Amino acid sequence: MSKKVLVVDDDPDVRSFVVTVLEENQYMPLVAQDGIEGFEMIEKEKPDLVILDVLMPRGSGIRLYRKLKTKETLNQIPVIMFTGIALRSFLKSQKALDEFNGEEVPEPDVYLEKPVEPEELVAAIKKKLG
Amino acid sequence: MSVNKILIVDDEEIIVKLLSMSLRSDGYETVTALSGEQGLEIFKSESPDIVVTDIKMPGMDGLELLKKIKEIDVEKEVIIVTGHGDIDSTITALQYGASDFINKPVRDEALSIALERAKAKIDIREKLKEYTENLEFKIAEATDEIRRKSNFQRLLIRSSTDAIVAFDHDWKVVVYNPEAAKMFGEAAKDVRNKMTIDDLYTPKIAKIFKNQAKDGKQQNTFSWRENIINTKDGRQIPVRYTSNVLHEKGEFVGTVNFFQDLTEIKRLEKELVQSERLAAVGQTVSGLAHYVKNILIGLKGGSYVVDVGIAKNDTEKFKTGWKTIKRNIKRVGDLTQDLLTYSKQREPAFELCLPNDIVDDVIELVKDTAESKDIFILKEIDNSIGEIMADPQTIHRSLLNLINNAIDACVEDENISKKHIIEIKTYRDQNNYFCFDVKDNGCGMDEDIQKQLFDPMFSSKGGKGTGLGLLVTSKLIEEHKGVIETKTSPGKGSIFTIKLPYGKANKG
Repeated sequence: MSKKVLVVDDDPDVRSFVVTVLEENQYMPLVAQDGIEGFEMIEKEKPDLVILDVLMPRGSGIRLYRKLKTKETLNQIPVIMFTGIALRSFLKSQKALDEFNGEEVPEPDVYLEKPVEPEELVAAIKKKLG
Repeated sequence: MSVNKILIVDDEEIIVKLLSMSLRSDGYETVTALSGEQGLEIFKSESPDIVVTDIKMPGMDGLELLKKIKEIDVEKEVIIVTGHGDIDSTITALQYGASDFINKPVRDEALSIALERAKAKIDIREKLKEYTENLEFKIAEATDEIRRKSNFQRLLIRSSTDAIVAFDHDWKVVVYNPEAAKMFGEAAKDVRNKMTIDDLYTPKIAKIFKNQAKDGKQQNTFSWRENIINTKDGRQIPVRYTSNVLHEKGEFVGTVNFFQDLTEIKRLEKELVQSERLAAVGQTVSGLAHYVKNILIGLKGGSYVVDVGIAKNDTEKFKTGWKTIKRNIKRVGDLTQDLLTYSKQREPAFELCLPNDIVDDVIELVKDTAESKDIFILKEIDNSIGEIMADPQTIHRSLLNLINNAIDACVEDENISKKHIIEIKTYRDQNNYFCFDVKDNGCGMDEDIQKQLFDPMFSSKGGKGTGLGLLVTSKLIEEHKGVIETKTSPGKGSIFTIKLPYGKANKG
């Protein structure tokens, strides 16, 4: 059975692009438009991989990512961050949150800064899912 | 550029002192503040290269300070010292453009790494700034030229190369210099001692000087005034002029008028306004670049989807990709139109139109978008408004702009239990202006956003806005001699009202 990949992004253009890339490579795409819908979908569908935008309305990708990684039943799901925010700023912000909360939320498995070529995205997904 | 001045803001004095000492020993110059408010004051007076601020402070906190600093100078490097581990404030700091985060207690090593990074970024930006500075240089040049011209004008007066025309007590022309001949287009031989004031000037201008002479001694001279003179050969010349009534032993003997041709100065002034506008656009360049990048991402993604559709002969795919492409082409079109509108003078093109029909057209355009986002559009039309003389484009574009903003305000609203509604209302007010309201119950705006609503560089929508929408709308409304008003409350929604004067139908 083909593997399930969830795309969480508020931009419909990004969603249709990623969905097409996934279909082309024999994955089963799922979509959500914001952080809250994304988390519900993860709990319900238990996808094999999540492709996640950072700044979105309703609960942002940061909140969703940290919730996911600190929940034991879900923290093994690999995450590809797919965003316009620079990696350095993102990591810095996460490190500060970690230190204060005494948590150790692992860095995302893959971090892609938009714009991303289809081949790059496929390579990242394959690396995680084979 | 060498970075040397650092502003440290923290409400705990001991931390400020320790940091300051440590940075000074590293060769930096430091200035300090013990609150957000003080930090902002010092930022304004000292203009430090880098700001290091604590988040949590009584009164103005670090986030607010960050926001205010970015409003003053979006490129200033601000390092956030956090000890609060709060996701919300971290997200907010990222959105406001914090350049780095370090945790409390601040370790020298972490701070110096953060400072090194900030310095490297400042260096790169310096180069980017040259572009904008080039524009500023052009403005400086134009300003200089105006100054030179006006000096030149003064020189002309002294050497009597103004247009000088003098009349005797019967209002016959007695002095008429070459400059005057140029200005009025009549040869000296046909004017001097032959024409009267009424032959040379239009009645409007002649009356000014005649009245002056009638008024007696207290009005013997007046300060420079400006006017447009119409010459007999049909030219319109903007002039500065003055006039002296001449007396000899208490007897009125004549009048002398001095004219300066302001055509060139008026042209330069116009140019100056244009280049200032261009500079404002220059400042939005980084925001625009971000916006254009987003469009490009959309176009590339869309063309990939179309390619897949073609290869597989999959019509659905093809349609989806094509929709993305069209949506992004439209964004380019809208952006171009906004930029053109903003950078060019435009006279409203008045014509007979039905404003209520325009409202219907615009609603038709946004209906699908609103529906897909679960937003309900209501309209309340005053049917007594029939055909009016107004610029339909102004009505169309400003209404479309306001409704699109209202949709965004509903989408950005964190309150998901709310049923989002946009109400559009047309009516006539007591001044008999044509008015329309666009009211939404979306996220509303806080005071800071309200203050910057009409600034060219400002967008509250991240990369999704050009920061030109409302600016263009208010320019269109201004050109139409109308007004735009806002009422808003955070969390509850906003209402934008546009009031336009118009001409009556059946007269044009």
